[in-house]
Amino acid sequence: MNLRIPILKLNDCLIVSIQWELDDQTALQFQEDLLAKLHETSARGVVIDLTPIDFIDSFIAKVLGDVISMSGLMGAKVVITGIQPAVAITLIELGIRLEDVMTALDLENGLEKLQRELEA
Amino acid sequence: MGYRSSVEILTEWDIVAARQLGRNEAKEVGFGTVDQARITTAISELARNIYLYAGKGKIEIERISEGGKYGITIIASDEGPGIPDVRKVMEDGFSTSGGLGAGMPGVKRLMDTFKIDTVLGEGTVINATKWIR
Amino acid sequence: MNKIIATLVQDNLDEILVNWQELMREDSEEKFFQIMSQSVVDSTSREFAELMISNLLEGENKYENRLNVFTSKVVRFGWSISFVMKAINHFAQVVYDLLEKEKIIVDENIKEYHSIITNWITPMRDGIVDTYAKTWERTVQLQKIALQELSASLIPVFDKISVMPLVGTIDTERAKLIMENLLEGVVKHRAEVVILDITGVPVVDTMVAHHIIQAADAVRLVGAKCMLVGIRPEIAQTIVTLGINLKDFTTTSTLQRGVEQALAWTNRQIVEVEGN
Repeated sequence: MNLRIPILKLNDCLIVSIQWELDDQTALQFQEDLLAKLHETSARGVVIDLTPIDFIDSFIAKVLGDVISMSGLMGAKVVITGIQPAVAITLIELGIRLEDVMTALDLENGLEKLQRELEA
Repeated sequence: MGYRSSVEILTEWDIVAARQLGRNEAKEVGFGTVDQARITTAISELARNIYLYAGKGKIEIERISEGGKYGITIIASDEGPGIPDVRKVMEDGFSTSGGLGAGMPGVKRLMDTFKIDTVLGEGTVINATKWIR
Repeated sequence: MNKIIATLVQDNLDEILVNWQELMREDSEEKFFQIMSQSVVDSTSREFAELMISNLLEGENKYENRLNVFTSKVVRFGWSISFVMKAINHFAQVVYDLLEKEKIIVDENIKEYHSIITNWITPMRDGIVDTYAKTWERTVQLQKIALQELSASLIPVFDKISVMPLVGTIDTERAKLIMENLLEGVVKHRAEVVILDITGVPVVDTMVAHHIIQAADAVRLVGAKCMLVGIRPEIAQTIVTLGINLKDFTTTSTLQRGVEQALAWTNRQIVEVEGN
């Protein structure tokens, strides 16, 4: 099973919509794919939408955190959108605060936020 | 004795399997969405620990009931090296894998009860329970 | 012998009840017999009497049934357990006196009747105490749930801005519920700013602050911003004294100011319209 997460380009931004539960391998593969695409397109912003995801454990959280740091190094800002209430609560209780991560309610808000950040 | 199901943990894919099982059981027993997330995440953390540190082990999930309340017990067992300093492991922020490593304190917060039994050189058994509020 | 007692009680019910009520009225600090209307006192007394002889005459199930109904009722009336004990003892006393008066109990069989009455009363006492305790626990449990349902709801005062007024003490149990309501509300209302109003929270110690901070963290993860309003002078003092760090929070003194700030964040403001 080798389903890779699709990454779409919209103007200056990359949009990632994670549609199914992430296993370790898929998550790491995604990290690689995103960085490759960033390099290819020189995109300055990324929105990662997690609306269908119903749980995130410490490993996935780490991968996401790393993706954001790595993207930053490549000159792109990242906004995470659509974290569900159950997921948010679980992450907080696990002790994962993701303090420096930009978040927004959904894709639309996420793109708006990116625009504002990039214009600043 | 409640209905019990289990998953052997050998490969990374087993972590996923354990999660699926946990999620299904939690749903069947009647937990709400947030508790389902808590249970699934706790199992993922426990399974991952077995995979990383013991190499091989088992996650068992048992449906329990007492005095009209319903719940779930997760039993994570392995024959790994054991945990040398349990108190340290239960300290927040401690992680040997360098990951965000939510680790044991995190799992403890997600569940209602949490118990570690470990013998150096023989293995570890972790017992965690959650009740439907 | 049980039948004899039971029949006697039934035949002389009115007299027994009058005597019993008299004893209760005198003895007790409980105001029930003085305050309640005579009809309520009478019907409750009757029910009690029927309960008392029920286990002599009727089957196990019927007795249990009556026991449950009766104890639920008196728990709701607010009868204390000692009051219930007195009720049972006085009833036994009245019946005993009557048995003596009717010469059913005489010197020869006094020991026998004594033991019969004890065997009649003791299990009843135990049963009533047990059921009473359970009913009491259940009531407390229901009250607890009702209290939790009082829980805060998120109010969408403006497009993109929601307010949650927190009232009362926040223990861990309630905090979990509040957090769930809060987050689900944020997603449902599509709020970009959430204002937590703690005017109605009497005590903010490290535990409560911890819960509030956790809630705010979770709100941030879901994609909204969290603001704290309604910090009273005493609360401000405790927070600083305890060394609680709320630096990541935006705080304003009143809800009004908070809303104005939230509007500014979402690129809006309230303007007065030219009068008619």
